[in-house]
Amino acid sequence: MGLPTLGVGIGWRSEIDLTVERLPGVDFVEVLAENVSPDPLPESLRVLRGRGVPVVAHAVSLSLGGAEPVDPRRVAHLAAVAEAVDAPLVSEHVAFTGAGGLDSGHLLPLPRTREALDVLVRNVRAAQQDLPVPLALENIAALLEWPDGELSEGRFLAELVERTDCWLLVDVANLHANATNLGTEPGRFLDELPLERLAYVHVAGGVRHGDLYHDTHAHAVPPEVLEVLGELCSRVSPPGVLLERDDAYPPDAELAAELAAIRAVVSR
Amino acid sequence: MTDLAARQAELVRALLADGPVPAGFDPDRVRAEAAALLAKRRGVAARLRPDLAATLGDRFRPLFDTWARENPRRAGESFRADLDAFARWLQERERQERERRSGHRLD
Repeated sequence: MGLPTLGVGIGWRSEIDLTVERLPGVDFVEVLAENVSPDPLPESLRVLRGRGVPVVAHAVSLSLGGAEPVDPRRVAHLAAVAEAVDAPLVSEHVAFTGAGGLDSGHLLPLPRTREALDVLVRNVRAAQQDLPVPLALENIAALLEWPDGELSEGRFLAELVERTDCWLLVDVANLHANATNLGTEPGRFLDELPLERLAYVHVAGGVRHGDLYHDTHAHAVPPEVLEVLGELCSRVSPPGVLLERDDAYPPDAELAAELAAIRAVVSR
Repeated sequence: MTDLAARQAELVRALLADGPVPAGFDPDRVRAEAAALLAKRRGVAARLRPDLAATLGDRFRPLFDTWARENPRRAGESFRADLDAFARWLQERERQERERRSGHRLD
Protein backbone atom coordinates (compact mmCIF):
# COMPACT_ATOMS: atom_id res chain seq x y z
CA MET A 1 0.00 0.00 0.00
CA GLY A 2 1.34 3.44 -0.85
CA LEU A 3 1.15 6.65 1.07
CA PRO A 4 -0.33 9.92 -0.20
CA THR A 5 1.75 12.68 -1.74
CA LEU A 6 1.89 15.42 0.89
CA GLY A 7 3.80 18.26 -0.76
CA VAL A 8 5.49 21.00 1.28
CA GLY A 9 4.28 21.71 4.80
CA ILE A 10 5.00 23.19 8.19
CA GLY A 11 4.66 21.98 11.76
CA TRP A 12 1.43 23.31 13.27
CA ARG A 13 2.04 24.86 16.72
CA SER A 14 -0.55 26.69 18.81
CA GLU A 15 1.79 29.73 19.03
CA ILE A 16 1.72 30.16 15.24
CA ASP A 17 -1.71 28.71 14.44
CA LEU A 18 -2.94 31.77 12.54
CA THR A 19 0.38 32.06 10.70
CA VAL A 20 0.12 28.45 9.56
CA GLU A 21 -3.47 29.04 8.41
CA ARG A 22 -2.55 32.02 6.23
CA LEU A 23 0.94 31.12 4.97
CA PRO A 24 1.00 30.54 1.22
CA GLY A 25 2.09 27.15 -0.06
CA VAL A 26 1.23 24.97 2.93
CA ASP A 27 0.15 21.66 1.42
CA PHE A 28 0.08 19.75 4.73
CA VAL A 29 0.83 20.18 8.42
CA GLU A 30 2.02 18.05 11.28
CA VAL A 31 0.77 18.24 14.85
CA LEU A 32 2.70 17.18 17.96
CA ALA A 33 0.36 14.60 19.43
CA GLU A 34 1.50 15.19 23.01
CA ASN A 35 0.56 18.87 22.77
CA VAL A 36 -3.09 18.52 21.76
CA SER A 37 -6.29 16.98 22.95
CA PRO A 38 -8.19 14.96 20.36
CA ASP A 39 -11.52 16.20 21.76
CA PRO A 40 -12.02 19.02 21.31
CA LEU A 41 -9.32 19.52 18.71
CA PRO A 42 -7.85 23.03 18.56
CA GLU A 43 -10.09 25.14 16.34
CA SER A 44 -7.23 25.98 13.98
CA LEU A 45 -6.71 22.30 13.18
CA ARG A 46 -10.42 21.95 12.49
CA VAL A 47 -10.18 24.93 10.12
CA LEU A 48 -7.25 23.34 8.27
CA ARG A 49 -8.99 19.96 8.07
CA GLY A 50 -12.08 21.75 6.79
CA ARG A 51 -9.98 23.06 3.93
CA GLY A 52 -8.78 19.56 3.17
CA VAL A 53 -5.21 20.13 4.41
CA PRO A 54 -3.78 16.75 5.51
CA VAL A 55 -2.59 16.62 9.14
CA VAL A 56 0.09 14.12 10.17
CA ALA A 57 0.26 13.21 13.88
CA HIS A 58 3.83 13.23 15.19
CA ALA A 59 4.82 11.82 18.58
CA VAL A 60 7.94 12.37 20.67
CA SER A 61 7.34 10.41 23.87
CA LEU A 62 6.65 6.77 22.97
CA SER A 63 10.29 5.80 23.71
CA LEU A 64 10.09 2.98 21.15
CA GLY A 65 13.76 2.19 21.65
CA GLY A 66 13.44 1.93 25.43
CA ALA A 67 14.13 -1.41 27.07
CA GLU A 68 11.18 -0.80 29.36
CA PRO A 69 7.68 -1.54 27.99
CA VAL A 70 6.03 1.21 25.93
CA ASP A 71 3.28 2.99 27.87
CA PRO A 72 0.05 1.92 26.11
CA ARG A 73 -1.65 5.18 27.12
CA ARG A 74 0.84 7.15 25.01
CA VAL A 75 0.16 4.95 22.00
CA ALA A 76 -3.59 5.26 22.60
CA HIS A 77 -3.30 9.07 22.73
CA LEU A 78 -1.38 9.14 19.44
CA ALA A 79 -4.03 6.86 17.90
CA ALA A 80 -6.83 9.14 19.17
CA VAL A 81 -5.18 12.27 17.77
CA ALA A 82 -4.56 10.49 14.45
CA GLU A 83 -8.25 9.58 14.21
CA ALA A 84 -9.40 13.06 15.26
CA VAL A 85 -7.39 14.74 12.48
CA ASP A 86 -7.97 11.87 10.02
CA ALA A 87 -4.19 11.54 9.67
CA PRO A 88 -2.88 9.66 6.63
CA LEU A 89 -0.01 8.44 8.81
CA VAL A 90 1.67 8.97 12.17
CA SER A 91 5.35 9.27 13.04
CA GLU A 92 7.75 8.78 15.93
CA HIS A 93 11.50 8.57 16.47
CA VAL A 94 14.17 5.92 16.66
CA ALA A 95 15.07 6.86 20.21
CA PHE A 96 14.37 6.35 23.88
CA THR A 97 13.26 9.05 26.31
CA GLY A 98 13.88 7.61 29.73
CA ALA A 99 15.03 4.67 31.80
CA GLY A 100 15.36 3.61 35.41
CA GLY A 101 12.33 5.65 36.45
CA LEU A 102 13.60 8.95 35.00
CA ASP A 103 12.24 10.87 32.01
CA SER A 104 14.84 12.63 29.85
CA GLY A 105 12.22 14.91 28.32
CA HIS A 106 13.93 14.59 24.98
CA LEU A 107 15.06 12.02 22.42
CA LEU A 108 18.18 10.03 23.23
CA PRO A 109 20.05 7.84 20.75
CA LEU A 110 20.02 4.05 20.88
CA PRO A 111 23.05 1.82 20.89
CA ARG A 112 23.23 0.47 17.33
CA THR A 113 23.43 -3.13 18.47
CA ARG A 114 21.43 -6.23 17.53
CA GLU A 115 20.03 -6.31 21.05
CA ALA A 116 18.74 -2.74 20.82
CA LEU A 117 17.34 -3.38 17.33
CA ASP A 118 15.44 -6.43 18.61
CA VAL A 119 13.90 -4.35 21.41
CA LEU A 120 12.98 -1.56 19.00
CA VAL A 121 11.41 -4.00 16.53
CA ARG A 122 9.34 -5.58 19.30
CA ASN A 123 8.08 -2.19 20.51
CA VAL A 124 7.36 -0.90 16.99
CA ARG A 125 5.35 -4.01 16.12
CA ALA A 126 3.32 -3.67 19.30
CA ALA A 127 2.63 0.03 18.62
CA GLN A 128 1.67 -0.68 15.00
CA GLN A 129 -1.06 -3.05 16.22
CA ASP A 130 -2.66 -0.24 18.20
CA LEU A 131 -2.33 2.51 15.58
CA PRO A 132 -5.05 3.12 13.00
CA VAL A 133 -2.70 4.26 10.20
CA PRO A 134 0.87 3.53 8.97
CA LEU A 135 3.78 4.50 11.22
CA ALA A 136 6.89 6.30 9.94
CA LEU A 137 10.06 6.41 12.04
CA GLU A 138 12.57 9.23 12.14
CA ASN A 139 16.36 9.42 12.52
CA ILE A 140 17.28 11.69 15.44
CA ALA A 141 20.01 14.26 16.01
CA ALA A 142 22.51 13.12 18.61
CA LEU A 143 25.32 14.82 20.47
CA LEU A 144 26.76 11.55 21.73
CA GLU A 145 27.23 8.05 20.48
CA TRP A 146 27.13 4.69 22.25
CA PRO A 147 30.52 3.01 22.28
CA ASP A 148 29.66 -0.38 20.80
CA GLY A 149 27.77 0.13 17.54
CA GLU A 150 27.52 -3.00 15.40
CA LEU A 151 25.60 -1.37 12.54
CA SER A 152 25.82 1.98 10.77
CA GLU A 153 22.83 4.25 11.38
CA GLY A 154 21.64 3.65 7.81
CA ARG A 155 21.84 -0.15 8.15
CA PHE A 156 20.12 0.02 11.53
CA LEU A 157 17.18 1.90 9.98
CA ALA A 158 17.12 -0.33 6.89
CA GLU A 159 16.83 -3.45 9.04
CA LEU A 160 14.14 -1.77 11.13
CA VAL A 161 12.11 -1.16 7.97
CA GLU A 162 12.67 -4.72 6.72
CA ARG A 163 11.54 -6.26 9.98
CA THR A 164 8.57 -4.02 10.85
CA ASP A 165 7.37 -2.75 7.47
CA CYS A 166 7.41 0.76 8.93
CA TRP A 167 7.91 3.85 6.78
CA LEU A 168 10.78 6.32 7.02
CA LEU A 169 10.74 9.93 8.08
CA VAL A 170 14.17 11.27 7.13
CA ASP A 171 15.12 14.42 9.02
CA VAL A 172 17.81 16.09 6.93
CA ALA A 173 18.64 18.56 9.72
CA ASN A 174 19.26 15.64 12.07
CA LEU A 175 21.40 14.03 9.41
CA HIS A 176 23.39 17.25 9.09
CA ALA A 177 23.71 17.37 12.89
CA ASN A 178 25.05 13.82 13.01
CA ALA A 179 27.41 14.54 10.13
CA THR A 180 28.85 17.47 12.11
CA ASN A 181 28.78 15.89 15.56
CA LEU A 182 29.39 12.21 14.93
CA GLY A 183 31.02 12.09 11.51
CA THR A 184 28.06 10.41 9.76
CA GLU A 185 28.46 10.55 5.98
CA PRO A 186 25.13 11.82 4.59
CA GLY A 187 25.65 10.19 1.18
CA ARG A 188 26.40 6.79 2.63
CA PHE A 189 23.54 7.09 5.11
CA LEU A 190 21.09 7.85 2.30
CA ASP A 191 22.52 5.07 0.11
CA GLU A 192 21.85 2.54 2.86
CA LEU A 193 18.18 3.49 3.33
CA PRO A 194 15.31 1.83 1.46
CA LEU A 195 14.13 5.18 0.09
CA GLU A 196 11.10 3.57 -1.57
CA ARG A 197 9.78 3.48 2.00
CA LEU A 198 10.24 7.24 2.48
CA ALA A 199 7.02 8.76 3.86
CA TYR A 200 8.21 12.34 4.23
CA VAL A 201 11.12 14.55 5.24
CA HIS A 202 11.79 16.99 8.08
CA VAL A 203 13.75 20.22 7.65
CA ALA A 204 14.66 22.47 10.58
CA GLY A 205 17.07 25.14 11.70
CA GLY A 206 19.81 25.00 14.27
CA VAL A 207 22.98 26.63 15.44
CA ARG A 208 26.61 25.73 15.72
CA HIS A 209 28.41 26.23 19.04
CA GLY A 210 32.08 25.36 18.73
CA ASP A 211 32.41 21.86 17.31
CA LEU A 212 28.78 20.95 17.87
CA TYR A 213 25.69 21.59 15.77
CA HIS A 214 22.53 21.94 17.87
CA ASP A 215 19.26 21.08 16.15
CA THR A 216 17.28 23.77 17.97
CA HIS A 217 14.24 24.30 15.72
CA ALA A 218 14.61 27.89 16.96
CA HIS A 219 17.03 29.26 14.33
CA ALA A 220 16.91 29.73 10.57
CA VAL A 221 17.47 26.71 8.32
CA PRO A 222 21.16 26.84 7.37
CA PRO A 223 22.22 26.27 3.76
CA GLU A 224 24.00 23.03 4.75
CA VAL A 225 20.67 21.48 5.72
CA LEU A 226 19.17 22.41 2.34
CA GLU A 227 22.23 20.83 0.71
CA VAL A 228 21.47 17.54 2.46
CA LEU A 229 17.86 17.89 1.29
CA GLY A 230 19.22 18.34 -2.22
CA GLU A 231 21.31 15.19 -1.84
CA LEU A 232 18.21 13.27 -0.78
CA CYS A 233 16.18 14.72 -3.68
CA SER A 234 18.85 13.60 -6.16
CA ARG A 235 18.04 10.01 -5.09
CA VAL A 236 14.27 10.12 -4.66
CA SER A 237 11.38 12.52 -5.07
CA PRO A 238 10.14 12.86 -1.48
CA PRO A 239 6.36 12.50 -1.03
CA GLY A 240 6.44 15.33 1.50
CA VAL A 241 8.82 17.84 3.09
CA LEU A 242 7.92 19.59 6.33
CA LEU A 243 9.53 22.60 8.04
CA GLU A 244 9.73 22.35 11.83
CA ARG A 245 9.93 25.48 13.94
CA ASP A 246 9.35 25.21 17.69
CA ASP A 247 10.57 28.42 19.27
CA ALA A 248 11.77 31.99 18.66
CA TYR A 249 9.15 32.29 15.92
CA PRO A 250 10.21 34.72 13.19
CA PRO A 251 7.92 37.00 11.15
CA ASP A 252 5.60 35.17 8.78
CA ALA A 253 7.64 36.34 5.79
CA GLU A 254 10.70 34.45 7.04
CA LEU A 255 8.78 31.22 7.40
CA ALA A 256 7.28 31.76 3.94
CA ALA A 257 10.77 32.28 2.53
CA GLU A 258 12.00 29.06 4.16
CA LEU A 259 9.07 27.15 2.68
CA ALA A 260 9.85 28.65 -0.73
CA ALA A 261 13.51 27.67 -0.38
CA ILE A 262 12.47 24.10 0.42
CA ARG A 263 10.13 24.03 -2.55
CA ALA A 264 12.91 25.29 -4.81
CA VAL A 265 15.18 22.40 -3.76
CA VAL A 266 12.42 19.81 -4.13
CA SER A 267 11.42 20.98 -7.61
CA ARG A 268 14.96 21.37 -8.92
CA MET B 1 16.70 -6.27 34.22
CA THR B 2 18.18 -6.74 30.75
CA ASP B 3 21.61 -5.49 29.87
CA LEU B 4 20.07 -2.83 27.61
CA ALA B 5 17.73 -1.60 30.34
CA ALA B 6 20.61 -1.31 32.79
CA ARG B 7 22.81 0.51 30.28
CA GLN B 8 20.06 2.93 29.29
CA ALA B 9 19.36 3.66 32.96
CA GLU B 10 23.07 4.26 33.59
CA LEU B 11 23.28 6.75 30.71
CA VAL B 12 20.11 8.55 31.83
CA ARG B 13 21.48 8.88 35.37
CA ALA B 14 24.68 10.36 33.97
CA LEU B 15 22.67 12.84 31.87
CA LEU B 16 20.04 13.88 34.39
CA ALA B 17 21.27 13.14 37.87
CA ASP B 18 25.04 13.70 37.84
CA GLY B 19 25.69 9.95 37.72
CA PRO B 20 29.08 8.64 36.57
CA VAL B 21 29.80 8.64 32.84
CA PRO B 22 29.25 5.05 31.63
CA ALA B 23 32.28 3.19 30.28
CA GLY B 24 33.13 3.90 26.68
CA PHE B 25 31.28 7.24 26.37
CA ASP B 26 33.04 10.50 25.60
CA PRO B 27 32.68 12.50 28.86
CA ASP B 28 32.63 15.82 26.96
CA ARG B 29 29.70 14.66 24.85
CA VAL B 30 27.83 13.35 27.88
CA ARG B 31 28.27 16.80 29.45
CA ALA B 32 27.11 18.51 26.25
CA GLU B 33 24.01 16.30 26.05
CA ALA B 34 23.27 16.85 29.75
CA ALA B 35 23.49 20.62 29.22
CA ALA B 36 21.23 20.39 26.16
CA LEU B 37 18.61 18.38 28.07
CA LEU B 38 18.74 20.85 30.95
CA ALA B 39 18.30 23.78 28.53
CA LYS B 40 15.29 22.06 26.94
CA ARG B 41 13.72 21.43 30.34
CA ARG B 42 14.38 25.05 31.36
CA GLY B 43 12.78 26.26 28.11
CA VAL B 44 9.67 24.20 28.77
CA ALA B 45 9.59 25.56 32.33
CA ALA B 46 9.79 29.16 31.13
CA ARG B 47 6.96 28.56 28.65
CA LEU B 48 4.66 26.71 31.05
CA ARG B 49 5.35 28.93 34.09
CA PRO B 50 6.05 32.44 32.72
CA ASP B 51 4.96 33.68 36.17
CA LEU B 52 7.96 32.04 37.83
CA ALA B 53 10.36 33.18 35.11
CA ALA B 54 9.08 36.77 35.39
CA THR B 55 9.21 36.86 39.20
CA LEU B 56 12.71 35.43 39.39
CA GLY B 57 14.20 37.39 36.48
CA ASP B 58 17.95 36.75 36.28
CA ARG B 59 17.72 34.31 39.16
CA PHE B 60 15.41 31.96 37.22
CA ARG B 61 18.18 30.17 35.35
CA PRO B 62 20.58 29.43 38.24
CA LEU B 63 17.75 28.51 40.59
CA PHE B 64 16.03 26.29 38.06
CA ASP B 65 19.29 24.57 37.13
CA THR B 66 20.17 23.91 40.78
CA TRP B 67 16.74 22.44 41.45
CA ALA B 68 16.61 20.46 38.18
CA ARG B 69 19.95 18.73 38.78
CA GLU B 70 18.77 17.58 42.18
CA ASN B 71 15.31 16.64 40.93
CA PRO B 72 15.34 14.80 37.61
CA ARG B 73 11.83 14.42 36.24
CA ARG B 74 10.37 11.05 37.15
CA ALA B 75 8.77 8.87 34.50
CA GLY B 76 5.03 9.40 34.35
CA GLU B 77 5.19 12.84 35.97
CA SER B 78 3.85 15.64 33.81
CA PHE B 79 5.86 18.78 33.11
CA ARG B 80 3.22 20.75 35.02
CA ALA B 81 3.41 18.56 38.11
CA ASP B 82 7.20 18.77 37.89
CA LEU B 83 7.03 22.57 37.81
CA ASP B 84 4.60 22.66 40.72
CA ALA B 85 7.34 20.88 42.67
CA PHE B 86 9.83 23.56 41.55
CA ALA B 87 7.41 26.28 42.74
CA ARG B 88 7.08 24.56 46.14
CA TRP B 89 10.89 24.31 46.38
CA LEU B 90 11.16 28.05 45.69
CA GLN B 91 8.57 28.84 48.35
CA GLU B 92 10.35 26.67 50.92
CA ARG B 93 13.64 28.34 50.06
CA GLU B 94 12.12 31.79 50.51
CA ARG B 95 10.58 30.77 53.82
CA GLN B 96 13.98 29.59 55.06
CA GLU B 97 15.60 32.83 53.93
CA ARG B 98 12.97 34.87 55.76
CA GLU B 99 13.55 32.83 58.89
CA ARG B 100 17.26 33.34 58.64
CA ARG B 101 16.80 37.09 58.24
CA SER B 102 14.41 37.38 61.20
CA GLY B 103 16.78 35.18 63.23
CA HIS B 104 19.59 37.64 62.51
CA ARG B 105 17.45 40.53 63.73
CA LEU B 106 16.79 38.74 67.01
CA ASP B 107 20.50 38.16 67.64
